[in-house]
Amino acid sequence: MSHRVALLGASGFIGSRIVEMFHLGGLADVRPVTRSIGALARLSRFDLDWRVADARDQQGMCKAFAGCETVIHAIAGDPATIRDSVTPVYRAAHEAGVRRLVYLSSASVHGQAPLPGTDEESPLRRRQPIAYNNAKACAERRLRGLRAKGAVELVILRPGIVTGPRSIWQTRFAIELLAGTAYWLNDGRGICNSLYVDNLVHAIQLALTAPGIDGQAFLVGDAETVTWADLYRPIAQAMGFDSIQLPNVDHVPRRGNILELARSMERTRPGRAIASLIPRRVRLGIRAAMTPVPPVNASPWAIPIAPASPLPSATLEMSRLYRCAWKLPDTKARQLLGYRPVVSFTEGCRRTIGWLGFAGFPTIQENNRSR
Amino acid sequence: MRAQDASIRVGLIGCGAVARLYYMPALRELEAAGSIEVAALLDPVAGHAALLHEAFPRAQMARQLPDLPRQGFDLAIVASPHSLHAAQTIELLEAGVSVLCEKPMATSVDDARAMIRAASVGPGLLAIGLVRRYFPATRMIRHMLALGTLGDITSFEFSEGFASFDWPAASRGYFSKREAQGGVLMDTGVHALDLLQWWLGKIAVLEYADDAMGGIEANCLIRCRLECGSTGEVRLSRDCALANRYTVRGSRGWLSWQAGQVDQFEFGFADSAQVVQARPRDQSASNFEQSFLSQLRNVIAALRGTEQLQVPAAEGIAGIELIENCYRQRSLMAMPWLDDREIARGRELNGGRMAGVVAR
Repeated sequence: MSHRVALLGASGFIGSRIVEMFHLGGLADVRPVTRSIGALARLSRFDLDWRVADARDQQGMCKAFAGCETVIHAIAGDPATIRDSVTPVYRAAHEAGVRRLVYLSSASVHGQAPLPGTDEESPLRRRQPIAYNNAKACAERRLRGLRAKGAVELVILRPGIVTGPRSIWQTRFAIELLAGTAYWLNDGRGICNSLYVDNLVHAIQLALTAPGIDGQAFLVGDAETVTWADLYRPIAQAMGFDSIQLPNVDHVPRRGNILELARSMERTRPGRAIASLIPRRVRLGIRAAMTPVPPVNASPWAIPIAPASPLPSATLEMSRLYRCAWKLPDTKARQLLGYRPVVSFTEGCRRTIGWLGFAGFPTIQENNRSR
Repeated sequence: MRAQDASIRVGLIGCGAVARLYYMPALRELEAAGSIEVAALLDPVAGHAALLHEAFPRAQMARQLPDLPRQGFDLAIVASPHSLHAAQTIELLEAGVSVLCEKPMATSVDDARAMIRAASVGPGLLAIGLVRRYFPATRMIRHMLALGTLGDITSFEFSEGFASFDWPAASRGYFSKREAQGGVLMDTGVHALDLLQWWLGKIAVLEYADDAMGGIEANCLIRCRLECGSTGEVRLSRDCALANRYTVRGSRGWLSWQAGQVDQFEFGFADSAQVVQARPRDQSASNFEQSFLSQLRNVIAALRGTEQLQVPAAEGIAGIELIENCYRQRSLMAMPWLDDREIARGRELNGGRMAGVVAR
């Protein structure tokens, strides 16, 4: 483990798995960097040389990067955080003598339903209707500009729908399924550009060390071409639904009451960011109001479920994702990085379902265990 | 004991999040009522003490315990990092100062016993800050269970966990193995195990698993047995959003308390789908702040000799014994997303075997 790498966004879904794989697998000496002390809660399972610093604080970043050969930027957040964090991070890396920065962008820089033929060389659209996409595209542009003047090598990864333990895509579906608010479009026949998180971490590991890839961007995905129904069916089955009969719902902007607003906020990245600003007690109050009393024979770890909404509404993001008809290619990553997915789609689903049981969802595995 | 009409001088030892959020409002109210006077504020980080000094401008500020005159206060609230509780409490008790020590009272049974010994030989009282015992809801639940309202207890499941940790911890020590000496079990678990035993009597730990791999646990699962033979589970997490419900089932019915609800819980009876949403009419507390106030009022009344301590150290140690027992039989929680190599390494770092719970 001679390679020391600083990891920004270490407490997030992807960051957590990077820490697990790098540390437990002996792949690198990982130094988690988080924005707050509280973000160390999950990371503190390990005895690591973690640091607390804000990505927008160049000096703080520089101290956190001291002695690190590479940096992974895996910070999630609202569009402003996405845009505003890259410059201080790059400059701090430069100042600290970091050799390479791997930036986790997103396949959504090509839109949620990219046109057939889209690959890394396709021009990035600047004015997409989803702010997250624009912010990621903007961050990429800024980083390329910084690289032109700076010494730190830059490698950009564009993952699609990252799946796995703690993935919002599968967790949200499980919650909505239990609540009776799950939906899809086109019976889930749209292509899901899935990427099991271990495959992404594998690509990151390659991006940290592969020679001759400075300045390159890579799309990465699972080996299989799968649909949204393929992604959701195993989860539904694991939760005891023999077949999924979901309403086909399109995006319809509408107003709602405060509980509906709270639920809808959970469905979008900006919404979650705003929700995080609400005082904990108020959030607990809203959550309590959304939580029915469990039946006597409920699973002990059942997640609080909101009452079924009579009219589920697709978010703009989901309505576009469900229309995707193009499997983004990972040819370039295979050629230049030597990328090969290390976990199959089926195995990834199985592991994710295992996590759902761990996290309190009433999966069949969980029910069997309880009996 | 202090005379009933004398104002009690209080020293706040540790001025972090719990002191700022909960003790400060309670102390202000008691000070305004003339019941106490905040005489001392101690924190190694000057800025932390300074924040509270704005509320208590007459209080002396210090960075270390030896800097404070022992005769300067009658009651110390020890709200410092867990690993300091025992040493600070013993030092204060030996100086004749009464102590309200925040939970967990200590990070080992040996330390907790030493604290009790120190209290037994000196004039000071030792109370433990287990604030959930002051919630009207938890009191009513205890009462219902003591009356046998649910019949024979058949099972229980306590779960408490959030996907994001939003307690504004002021110190990194909160997540340091050396300083915190434990994770979610040592923190949230103290409350859960205390309520479990307060409600249902003594328990035995059958199996304990957590996910600490060189650090402190973010998740844990305890299987335990009541003296009546019924078994149940406690699942805690700083990583996953759990149901946050404490449910007890009996031959005649069930009850369920949402963790943290000060004055509400639900219950129902066997063979009935109806649910009773109970809101105990105990006006002593309807929120966390008021519960801390109730706790302090009890300690002050005990100091004045007018009430018994509601949570004396002898009761606080029961939770520490359980926690120590858990850590002693620790195993690694099954984490089905880890590969075989990661599991093997995780087991080495955990120091335990692979748990059978949540089987892969």
